[in-house]
Amino acid sequence: MKVVLLIAAAMGVSAAQAEELRFVTCPIYRDTDAGKKSGCWLADAHETGNRYDVSKAPSKPDWNHAVLVEGVVASRTTEDACGGVVLDPVRTSILPADCPRHMLEAEGFPGRKFVLPRRNVSPLSAARAPIPGPFAARTFRVFYDFDQSFLVYQYDDYLFDAAVAWLRAAKPRAIKVVGWAATDSVAISGMDFAEHADIAKERAEKIAESLARMGFDKSIISVEWHGGAKPVIDPDIDGLVEPSRRRVDIVATL
Amino acid sequence: MKRLSLYGGSLLAAVILFGGVSLTASIGQRPKAAATTNYWWAPGSGQTFPASADFPNASGTLRVLLDGGPMATKGHPFFTALSPSGRACVTCHQPSDSMSLSAETAQRRWRETNGRDPLFAAYDGSNCPSLPQDRADSHSLLLTRGLIRIQRPWPPRDPIGRNITVDYKIEIVRDPTGCNSGKYGPAAEHPTVSVYRRPRPLANMKYLLAVGFAYDPKQGMPLPLDPETKKPLSGNLMADGRASTLTAQMSDAAGSHLELTRHLTPAQMRQITDFESRVFTAQQRDVSGTALDADGAEGGPMKLFTSRPGQLGSIGKPVWSEFEAWEKPKPGLTREAAAFRASVARGAKIFRDKTFLITDSSGINSPIGFGNPVRNACAFCHNMSQMGNDVAPGQVDLGTTTLPFADPAPDLPLFRITCLGRPHPHYGRVIYTSDPGYALTTGRCADVGKITLQSLRGLAARAPYFANGSAKDLRGLVDYYDRRYHIGYTEQEKQDLVNLMRSL
Ligand code: HEC
Ligand code: HEC
Repeated sequence: MKVVLLIAAAMGVSAAQAEELRFVTCPIYRDTDAGKKSGCWLADAHETGNRYDVSKAPSKPDWNHAVLVEGVVASRTTEDACGGVVLDPVRTSILPADCPRHMLEAEGFPGRKFVLPRRNVSPLSAARAPIPGPFAARTFRVFYDFDQSFLVYQYDDYLFDAAVAWLRAAKPRAIKVVGWAATDSVAISGMDFAEHADIAKERAEKIAESLARMGFDKSIISVEWHGGAKPVIDPDIDGLVEPSRRRVDIVATL
Repeated sequence: MKRLSLYGGSLLAAVILFGGVSLTASIGQRPKAAATTNYWWAPGSGQTFPASADFPNASGTLRVLLDGGPMATKGHPFFTALSPSGRACVTCHQPSDSMSLSAETAQRRWRETNGRDPLFAAYDGSNCPSLPQDRADSHSLLLTRGLIRIQRPWPPRDPIGRNITVDYKIEIVRDPTGCNSGKYGPAAEHPTVSVYRRPRPLANMKYLLAVGFAYDPKQGMPLPLDPETKKPLSGNLMADGRASTLTAQMSDAAGSHLELTRHLTPAQMRQITDFESRVFTAQQRDVSGTALDADGAEGGPMKLFTSRPGQLGSIGKPVWSEFEAWEKPKPGLTREAAAFRASVARGAKIFRDKTFLITDSSGINSPIGFGNPVRNACAFCHNMSQMGNDVAPGQVDLGTTTLPFADPAPDLPLFRITCLGRPHPHYGRVIYTSDPGYALTTGRCADVGKITLQSLRGLAARAPYFANGSAKDLRGLVDYYDRRYHIGYTEQEKQDLVNLMRSL
């Protein structure tokens, strides 16, 4: 269940000391009330018996479904807002398996007041700073929850929007959209996990369609997809390794 | 009693400011056609649409403004019976009913015309054309719930008429109207699905057409583009989002409600869109004796007219901050008026700030990433400043049409939906619904039960509420939310919300 950040270490990334936890469990909702979107999400790792606070995931769990947790124990000691060891960065993916709905009272935990995530798209009415050149060939990425092709609100939409803004300024000759799926089977919490191969195609096609909707000429967009995805280093996956496999690369050629 | 106050004998000239231009409303003209009564705008009546008109309703007065008005309606395609049945657009989009149609108006029309008004046309003004048309119970859905029959093609088609791949199977469990079996319904020779819906208010349209962000967070995609203009579409029209532009909607309405076999001409379409984009409605006065824009408050349609649409309340002007000035009591008011204003101001805060757990509502709890459940308030979904619709395309499953959350409705059809691919995120593989909503447009089982959020303005003039008319009044609507999400509103909080909503 632990993946040492070998690649990160090889690249000399400093967060590499942290261990990436990866487990499957039924999520627990703690009904804290510090206003809108302030409830807590907890996840018990069966292997260790530890209870983790996974509330900082860009996309949150569903109390009726199992969840795949991937994260790193927060390096700075954070206050115990929810009643669990804080994972940050963290990703939670909703899985098809059913879970009994379980809700805890706040039990004195304050929860966290909602703050607008750093990655959020501005309204169209807001003026945008121009992107200065010169431009060179570049790859943008968006990352997905396990077996999903959905662009998560206030995370992926921001990444995609940033790519679009750059592409509009750089006016590339060609855009290659490469969908990836983590199809190599791994054991997590005693179960075999692999993404469906066709999710790579679904991811790539949705991104290609999204680019077309943002005004890029379909004739310069090519689409391909692959299984067996390998991890990548990218600032927008926040140092996580396994989730970095589940992605689309948007490759611009000038 | 509804009365077109500006058509009375008094020749008072209302001077209204539109965009800084001062206009004198042409008022006091008597309606020409005898068929036009004080509460009912009959097709072809030829009367002038005034720059401003007030219509009484049970909780006060609705005001209708026409930007650039007054406007002659003689020969205007919105007001002229283009259909063989004698209907016009205005038949179902009545000024006195905030450009929608209340069940009360339908009942009155039935009584006064012995059921002969073109409103009750067999095609969609009755439960099913196969029923004996002279009997009131053949029109019970229109008379009791204000519902019009909407016959959707099955399988759904995309905007250029190609069949859409559907990832679910639809079967009929119950068919009380007879319009989903035999020569009708998904198993018929020409397959269709009939659902029953309220006319949506055709006013303040700039808000429904506004695009606040480039993305639809509920679909995880950029907004689709208008095939004609290549501009992003707001996605906020129609319960099932089947038409995303006024032009597309118009062709849909002409082909169905008006039973037109030929298309409206481009000139007619331009006239209709032009009119639609100029009408603003909102409640203007309350029966407690208060003008809704008095003493710093900003109720009424003028504010809607002058404001910029498409703004998210949470980062700009808070939703219903129109009534902020009433948070402080003003000396000298009658007790009734003072109590009412205080209640409206509290209601606005409850709408924005009183949180509860939103559960199992796709579009919100899935797949966007908010989690299931998520703690939030009414204004989470109803988030556009001044209008209370959703800035993002508002397809959300509140449960109004889908079991187990929907109220019992033996008079409506019941469909069994079986998801053939991935199960629905909240209902599982098999879903029971009286209106699959957005799924009738997208063909996706994940969209079953999603209904596009409406405008929240002019509510007092257009009961009952929700697309299937299941909330018979505003109190019934608050009670639905209270049951659906176990909110636990106090009696006072419910009353405050009702008072707020009747003031919109
Ligand atoms: C028989 C009644 C009836 C007639 C006549 C009618 N409509 Fe409607 N209208 C409806 C109903 C019902 C809906 C809601 C449909 C739905 O949500 O699926 C609607 C919705 C609309 C909407 C969408 C508004 C929104 O906020 O989503 C527009 C625009 C509209 N109608 C315009 C027209 C025009 C233009 C005409 C004349 C060409 C017309 N209607 C004639 C019943 C009618
Ligand atoms: C989870 C999102 C969500 C929340 C939260 C929510 N609504 Fe709604 N609201 C909707 C949807 C979706 C509809 C349309 C449903 C339908 O027509 O069946 C709707 C419709 C309405 C309407 C009906 C408008 C009409 O024209 O019939 C009113 C009024 C309303 N909501 C008020 C409220 C109030 C008051 C609250 C807080 C108690 C609230 N809403 C909370 C999603 C939401």
